[in-house]
Amino acid sequence: MSRRLVPGCLVLSDWYRSAESKEFFSSILYKNRRKHFGLLEGPALPLKLSVDTVSYKIFVCGKSGVGKTAFVAKLAGLEVPSMHHETTGIQTTVVFWPVKLRENGRVLMFRLQFWDCGENAIRRFDHLLPACRDQADAMLLLFSFTDRSSFDDLFNQLARLSGPENGMLKLVVGTKFDQFMHTDVTEKELREFQQAWAVPVFRFQSSVSGVSQPALEDVAPLLNGLAEHLWNQDQLAVSLQTEVGVC
Amino acid sequence: MMFQAGAVQLLCLTASSGVPLFCRGRGACRQLPFSVIGSLNGVHMFGSSQDAQLSSTVTEWGRVLWRVYHESITLIAVSSEEGASELYLERLLENVFSCMVLILGLDDLANIKNVERLKRDLRSCYKLIDSFLEVPNEDVGDLTHCADCLIPQEPTILQECLDGFSQAAESEFGCLLVDGKIVVATEKWWRLAPQEVVLLSFLVRSLGGSSSRDYPVFLPQGSPNVPHRLLCFQLLAGVDVCVLCGPTPSLQKVERELVCRFWSPLIDCLRICVRLKGRCFPGTVSIPQGILGLLLINRDNSRALCSIQGFQESAQSSASFSQERRRELLRQFYTLATTRYFLAEPQGEKHRALTEEFQFGFTHEPVQCYLVTDDCKCFGIQTPQYQCFVLTTDSVPTFALRSLATRTLTALTTQTAF
Repeated sequence: MSRRLVPGCLVLSDWYRSAESKEFFSSILYKNRRKHFGLLEGPALPLKLSVDTVSYKIFVCGKSGVGKTAFVAKLAGLEVPSMHHETTGIQTTVVFWPVKLRENGRVLMFRLQFWDCGENAIRRFDHLLPACRDQADAMLLLFSFTDRSSFDDLFNQLARLSGPENGMLKLVVGTKFDQFMHTDVTEKELREFQQAWAVPVFRFQSSVSGVSQPALEDVAPLLNGLAEHLWNQDQLAVSLQTEVGVC
Repeated sequence: MMFQAGAVQLLCLTASSGVPLFCRGRGACRQLPFSVIGSLNGVHMFGSSQDAQLSSTVTEWGRVLWRVYHESITLIAVSSEEGASELYLERLLENVFSCMVLILGLDDLANIKNVERLKRDLRSCYKLIDSFLEVPNEDVGDLTHCADCLIPQEPTILQECLDGFSQAAESEFGCLLVDGKIVVATEKWWRLAPQEVVLLSFLVRSLGGSSSRDYPVFLPQGSPNVPHRLLCFQLLAGVDVCVLCGPTPSLQKVERELVCRFWSPLIDCLRICVRLKGRCFPGTVSIPQGILGLLLINRDNSRALCSIQGFQESAQSSASFSQERRRELLRQFYTLATTRYFLAEPQGEKHRALTEEFQFGFTHEPVQCYLVTDDCKCFGIQTPQYQCFVLTTDSVPTFALRSLATRTLTALTTQTAF
């Protein structure tokens, strides 16, 4: 199974900059800010542009304080909390992101639902962790560049997860990459980790640059990368199924 | 002066040792120095060591209120706001303690085991606590302890849908809110303590931004030690539906199987509700001219309707009375009327003991009151079932206020099911 994906081999990674994508992206923006959709809503596209929407459930996990909530808030264009506090219970956030496939030029609307849950709450209430994992399509393991123990914890997490849920897509995200002055994790360690576990690793800037809402550039690499891996996983699953069908 | 005008500070300390747990504030103020916090707590502790309960004081620059809960948590409110009433501060402290119970449970607060841990846990209450401190406050429920409501155009269809949805989610407690105001709720939801209903509305609004939540809540009065699950779904921006349930069903199950099935057909109806926010009652109910805002309270079921928008009025009055100002004026008039005249609220002995002497001089129970200021007028009516407060421009003749208020009350109560 080819787990290694070269970034941009399935989706066009700077498509969001092109003139052609403008109409698609304007459907997720409102007055230059990210639009928020209730569960009954979705981006409204003109008929001639209508595209298929693909939905995924993504579980965001990681040690308490690595910035799970801030990470999701930034991806969704919501206000990033200025001070850390434990998330109470489960909090899900839907992010829409249009993507153009390299292979056939098809545009897809990804509906990514991020499931975020406070680590202490998970320990306190038994039902939360199973609820987050149940039928999740991907798992984002977060560590913070400024917290060494959160990086070390990844090994435990991955080891623990390599059980029955092996099939679930796993990605690692290093948060607070902007605070490189205080970094506790070196590039070399990260490379070694990536090779050892064959897990894609993303670097993410959690803080908001300036007062304005985070621009698309800030979140595009991660969202495109995530969409690419999810799409790849689906394609593999489909090809596997057809093979089984043929046999 | 260390404490500038127009500020409110809220201090929370452990009652036994006086360790500060948190400090929240609004307005132009820096956190009070530790020595001042210590003195404020010290004077209260000194009182209790002498068997005297210090509950409040007024100084030339403001007002201070102390409350101790379960002999474990001390809350102190310090306000330098002009016209900050004791009623407001008292309710503020009650609300803040309830917020803490709602999120952490009473056990952890009444029996503090680890102060540092509690401090950290309390941070998750800040957002909710701050929503009670916010200016301008969106609602009046924090003051009235009656749930803020929005009367929809088609209540029946929404009610049926909510009842069906709650039942399918294995819950008897369901509620639909627009911007933190209750549009419809199941019968059982209304049987929760009024303060809990208000608290849950504030909680749902403070959760804004997320698509769905599975939130453990402890009901301060109904279930302070056993958590329930509050499942909360954002249907449209500003429209939330929530249910209180036990261990099942899972958040995902309700979201995937029930939310769209029940609510998609009503999407237009929900959009109409969103447009009513600010006015809070349908345009078909006509209100006499000259009114800038109104507050209607149903005393039987502890519901409140606060409307500050969508009246027929001149361009001049709409320019000089911002929505925030209207709400603030109504809040102040409500406070004045209920603390001075309309005392029939069943508050119990405790409240009686804290009110000023002169009210006992009344041999009758006032049923109407009015207030005339430089640029506006207010009129309040009390009936066995309702309290109605209206705010008008100064162009309305004072002698006409009564009939204006009466007509408003009649229009709202006869043409809607409030």
